[in-house]
Amino acid sequence: MLLELRDVGKRFGGLHAVTGLSMTVASRTIHGLIGPNGAGKSTVFNLLTGVLPLSSGEIVFKGARVSGLRPSEICRRGIARTFQATTLFRESTVLENVILAFHLHAATAFVPTLIATATYREKERSARTRARALLASLRLLDVADQRAGNLPHRDQKALCLAMALATGAELVILDEPLAGLTAQESADTMALLRTLRAEGKTILLVEHDMRAVMGLCDVITVLDHGVLIAEGTPRDIQANPAVIEAYLGAEESRA
Amino acid sequence: MSRRPGLSPALGFGLLAGAGVAVPVLTRDSYYLDVATTLLMNLVLTLSLRFEMSTGQLNMAHISFMGVGAYASVLLVTRAGWSFWASLAVAPLVAALVAVPVGRIALRVSGPYYFLITFAFLEVLRLFFNNFFVDYLGGPSGLAEIPRPHPLPLSGGAIGFTGKLPQYWLMYALFLVAAAVLIRLEYSRFGLVASAIRQRDLLAETLGVDIIRYKLGVFVLGSFFAGLTGVFFAHSHQVLHSSDFGLEPMVLLVVFTVIGGAQSVWGPVVGTLVLAVTSELLRELHHYEILVYGAVLMVVMLVCPEGLVSLPGRLAHALTRRRDAKARAVGARVAP
Repeated sequence: MLLELRDVGKRFGGLHAVTGLSMTVASRTIHGLIGPNGAGKSTVFNLLTGVLPLSSGEIVFKGARVSGLRPSEICRRGIARTFQATTLFRESTVLENVILAFHLHAATAFVPTLIATATYREKERSARTRARALLASLRLLDVADQRAGNLPHRDQKALCLAMALATGAELVILDEPLAGLTAQESADTMALLRTLRAEGKTILLVEHDMRAVMGLCDVITVLDHGVLIAEGTPRDIQANPAVIEAYLGAEESRA
Repeated sequence: MSRRPGLSPALGFGLLAGAGVAVPVLTRDSYYLDVATTLLMNLVLTLSLRFEMSTGQLNMAHISFMGVGAYASVLLVTRAGWSFWASLAVAPLVAALVAVPVGRIALRVSGPYYFLITFAFLEVLRLFFNNFFVDYLGGPSGLAEIPRPHPLPLSGGAIGFTGKLPQYWLMYALFLVAAAVLIRLEYSRFGLVASAIRQRDLLAETLGVDIIRYKLGVFVLGSFFAGLTGVFFAHSHQVLHSSDFGLEPMVLLVVFTVIGGAQSVWGPVVGTLVLAVTSELLRELHHYEILVYGAVLMVVMLVCPEGLVSLPGRLAHALTRRRDAKARAVGARVAP
């Protein structure tokens, strides 16, 4: 198992946002995390990436415990994420955004940076080349020198994804990657995610577009009120009465 | 890197270095040399303050580290019998060393809390200089008769530092080092990461940037340059008082930086230069000067909140907009 959550809990004061959550994410899969609003999906993402501390339990990635580490260290171990609201360095250019995301692999120590040693210049060149290649693969090369904040929504979404990929993470966590996209743009993104899986990436995503989730995911985990209520293939989930009750709404289950 | 519009770093640095050489060529008047020397000190202070602001936080204790450097150097030279030149190398390191624990504490918080913590530290350190170890730090009456920089031995003689001109050259050399380092960093990977932290620290962190370490590094390096200025200040003024490192001079540094524009590495340069000239023009006003600064600050914040360096860009933008509007108006009239 690439990722394992063991009895993970998160409380905000008296509110139990996530309770006793145990789940695993297998390598080279697209794993969906779904549930009604307030089910705790984004909280799980924040726990996974160290943005919030756990109240109980532990998270194990590639056999090593990652809960309790700082976000930067978790990224270093190979978990990258995008945020629900498109989160970018808006004043920087598109290229700079991606170069920043290559930071881990291209960073040099202070003194070599200051005097611009040959190693530093070589790393900078290679980061730019790789950033351009990545932008080209996501059809963003034309806007490479524009300010990220000036891009249309679709391109901002794509840039967020590009940055998560640039970290070189094995596990990419995507918070609503399809939100606000047109049907065609959604289809493109889904094709891209399948390509990434074929290339060996593991993807964990939260998404509200049910048709997309059912078509895309290998495994789906359903949360409701911070508790796991179902897990399985899309077919299992669609047939699960608890899911229909909790997620698709009581009216549908009565109908 | 051509990532920022405007002045190229090499050209900007060249202009500054050239202007610095031009001053003693134009005048040997000791008053103007004094003004120019103070200006160079202020430039190092505002450049390093802006360097710390580039990660998005305003360190109100910046000038305290100038004080640490100044007092440390006086103690090293007068009590431990060190040469000024050894002290010039070591006292800024003392300031940097003191900055490590202070930064570790202050950088746990951000925004207004960081401002308040560093402000508290400014006051604590000023009171420390004023009230503690009076035998060593001079207490409320301050320290006087601080020796000038010792003559610098060279092959076949020595350069003395009693006159205004050699002192100016010494400060000029210190300024060149500080400006070269801080401008170079701004246009390197280091500056790019700093701007990322300022824009979205959480995103930077989830992309693998150890932001605490980064901010601490910036804090310590900024304090080093403040300490360096302090060493020069102590031995050129020859008197030190705790109020040299209090709120009023600190506020002036912030005003210089913000009026110029804290977003750009050239902002503090422009702000410090403009206000130095203003203050010379308004010399008769004495301590009403600060009122004028206040007024200038208000006007700048209203007209161009990103500082004077943003003016050319804003003007260009406004002109294009006007031209576009005119073109549209013409187009509308022509259209049937």
